[in-house]
Amino acid sequence: MGSHSSSDTFADQVRASPGGEKITYCFSCGTCTATCPIQWIEENYNPRRIIKMVMLGMRDQVLSSPVIWLCSACDICYRRCPQGIRISDLMKAIRDVAIQEGYEPVRMVAEVDQRACAGCGMCAQACPYEAIELRTKWVNGQQSTLPEVDRFLCHGCGTCAAICPSSAISVEDLSDDMIVAQIREFADEMG
Amino acid sequence: MVDAARHPKVDVRTYTEVERVEGFVGNFQVQLREKSRYVIADRCNGCGECAKVCPIEVPNYFEMNLAPRKAAYVPMSQSVPLVYNIDMDACIHCYKCVEACGKLDAIDFSMEDELVWEDVGAIIVATGFSHFDPSVIPEYGYGRYPNVVTAIEIERLINSAGPTAGDLIRPSDGTHPKRLAIINCVGSRDKRFNPWCSNFCCMYAIKNAILMKQVNPEMDITVYYIDIRTPSKGYEAFYDRAREMGIRFLQGRPALITEDPETQNLYVHSEDVSLGQVIEREYDMVMLNQAAVPQPDVDTVSSVLNISQSPGGWFMEYHPKLRPMDSPTDGVFLAGACQGAKDIPASVAQGSAAASRAGRVLHVPEWEIEPVVASVWEDRCISAQGKKCGVCSRACPYGAIEYEQGKAPRIFIAKCHGCGGCVAECPQNAITQLHFTDAQILAQIRALLADRPEEKILAFRCHWCSYGGADMAGTSHFEYTANERGLRVMCSARMDNDFIYEAFRLGAGAVLYSGCHPQDCHYITGQRVGSARAERLLKAFDKMGMTEGRFRVEWISAAEGDKYARVLNEMQATLDSIPKEQLMEEIERLRPQMEKRARRMREAPQVEEALEFADRLKAAMIGQEV
Repeated sequence: MGSHSSSDTFADQVRASPGGEKITYCFSCGTCTATCPIQWIEENYNPRRIIKMVMLGMRDQVLSSPVIWLCSACDICYRRCPQGIRISDLMKAIRDVAIQEGYEPVRMVAEVDQRACAGCGMCAQACPYEAIELRTKWVNGQQSTLPEVDRFLCHGCGTCAAICPSSAISVEDLSDDMIVAQIREFADEMG
Repeated sequence: MVDAARHPKVDVRTYTEVERVEGFVGNFQVQLREKSRYVIADRCNGCGECAKVCPIEVPNYFEMNLAPRKAAYVPMSQSVPLVYNIDMDACIHCYKCVEACGKLDAIDFSMEDELVWEDVGAIIVATGFSHFDPSVIPEYGYGRYPNVVTAIEIERLINSAGPTAGDLIRPSDGTHPKRLAIINCVGSRDKRFNPWCSNFCCMYAIKNAILMKQVNPEMDITVYYIDIRTPSKGYEAFYDRAREMGIRFLQGRPALITEDPETQNLYVHSEDVSLGQVIEREYDMVMLNQAAVPQPDVDTVSSVLNISQSPGGWFMEYHPKLRPMDSPTDGVFLAGACQGAKDIPASVAQGSAAASRAGRVLHVPEWEIEPVVASVWEDRCISAQGKKCGVCSRACPYGAIEYEQGKAPRIFIAKCHGCGGCVAECPQNAITQLHFTDAQILAQIRALLADRPEEKILAFRCHWCSYGGADMAGTSHFEYTANERGLRVMCSARMDNDFIYEAFRLGAGAVLYSGCHPQDCHYITGQRVGSARAERLLKAFDKMGMTEGRFRVEWISAAEGDKYARVLNEMQATLDSIPKEQLMEEIERLRPQMEKRARRMREAPQVEEALEFADRLKAAMIGQEV
């Protein structure tokens, strides 16, 4: 559990978490929400509303919400925010609180197929979030180097899946086969 | 303006700049540069024949460059005085204007700027404000999209005396816009550019929206806002009226404006905050309500008049609530938006107040000042003995001390505000401040540290801020340590090294050196003099091996009672954390060094007598001989 004292509000707790310092600057102008490319796809992701909910102390609603895991840290909103709030950092602070409080990330993460993996390590190099680490371990009585995905750090971007030469790593529910199938279907539709 | 120009007692000097200001309240000498117009004002009757024949056209700044003007021009049709001017940057010297002027013979190409000195009793600064250039905000596309215009451009476009005679048209194709967006807070309330609220833009947006709606009731007008601020009398009713007329108000700051390259219509992307939904709406034209910013030449004006600036570059008032129209320099007053963004009623009120303040100066034969001014003991001054010094003159934020090697410095007491910076800085203790003499303050230090000094925290507070902070802590019932002993001086600049040394020599447990925040100083740069000294003291004590925290420097405003209490409690905690024997040992160990450093102070006049008196007082207080 977190190190906050019981008198701290939810907002205090987010503020004390690295990246959450500027949360009180927000005056709810909505620039971030209108900017956000995630919002185009997922209507429920509204950074302004999340900040407001934190300020109102809606702890469980925020921390159990799947949308707090969606920010892709593109930082377009940061460049436009009139209050200079780095929303990607703020979202990270909220996620940190969620992890401290024992909430599981609600998002797709990369998974390794140990049988197919050759242990080349290209995935670890490609990962923009440094979520993949190479570990040496014993598999079936044989020593092998295999990547391990930190599910808290992984954003599910799929860079590793694209770069893997042996298709041994893929984002949950979104394997290469599935994407190929979707493309085929689309191609059929278009004739 | 016309009335002012006709008034027998008002002398209007236009196209004139103030180059230098000397003297003091009631007795200023002002050097003016009367720029040459190349037209003799007394002869010109404003007929405009010169402009008619002038073949040169340049953008008209007054019309926001939306219309041309000639090289022979008046800035606007209501100009006072109505005297033409030749723009020498544009003029090709064809002399057609000279011909057209004919018998009047008002045009003189050999005219030069004139420098004149004038005696004045008081000065009112009313230099106004400027506009933020929104082209630096890339997402709004000003300068790239022709139909994104500023509020001032709209102002000219809907003005019946403007370039289109009041016909609102789109710059891209000259058609009449049917859908118009007004965006508030462009460059204001924006920490990237100007953090302040520009005060009048909400009302300005509403006013322009109503004006346009009156001309064309069919027009679809939407105002995008973060908050609508209508705080003055009648303003909320005006806002109500705008909504009744069908003007749409949409809460949400636009994040992006994009343009349809074919129609050159604009798409405004924003969140409708009340719906929590992102919306994109199409408009024919967008008006950016840009921030009010200080004039670009504020630094020049500040240095000419010796007035300080608040953060951002607005001129600083003497006191934000009680003396908003006075500058920190006596006899110089502020009016209007040069002191901070404000609307017309507030500017008129401040201008009238400044005029009556200036009238007070002009109507009395004598001017009362605070009696806490500086005074020199010539026999102690080393400059009077021929040596080079001038420390006092450099410390003075008001330029009130005239220094010349070989002479004792001369203090203009009408300019002196009594910060005491020169007094504390003088290495010879050759200057004193009336009512805050070294002797008086040292006697106070003695009395305050009379009994068990090692338990005491001696707090030096400046009159305007940290003293007010302590007062606020008291009236707010913020509890702080009872071991604090406060001592008031006018400014942190007066907190002499010697006072601090003497306090530690007497065995003070801890000393607080407190004053205002740098931008709040009542003595322009007094705090900077004080804080530089405090930094040197911190280093010196660190070198001597003093426990960290026994000497503390804090800047506390009059509103920060909580901070005053917190700092004192922290200092008490520091003292509590040092074992008593260790503290006593440290005091004894440092005493000879303190004694040595503070010795010169004892030579100052009246110090010995005052100390003797303090000792007697102390004996009476604690019932023991010293």
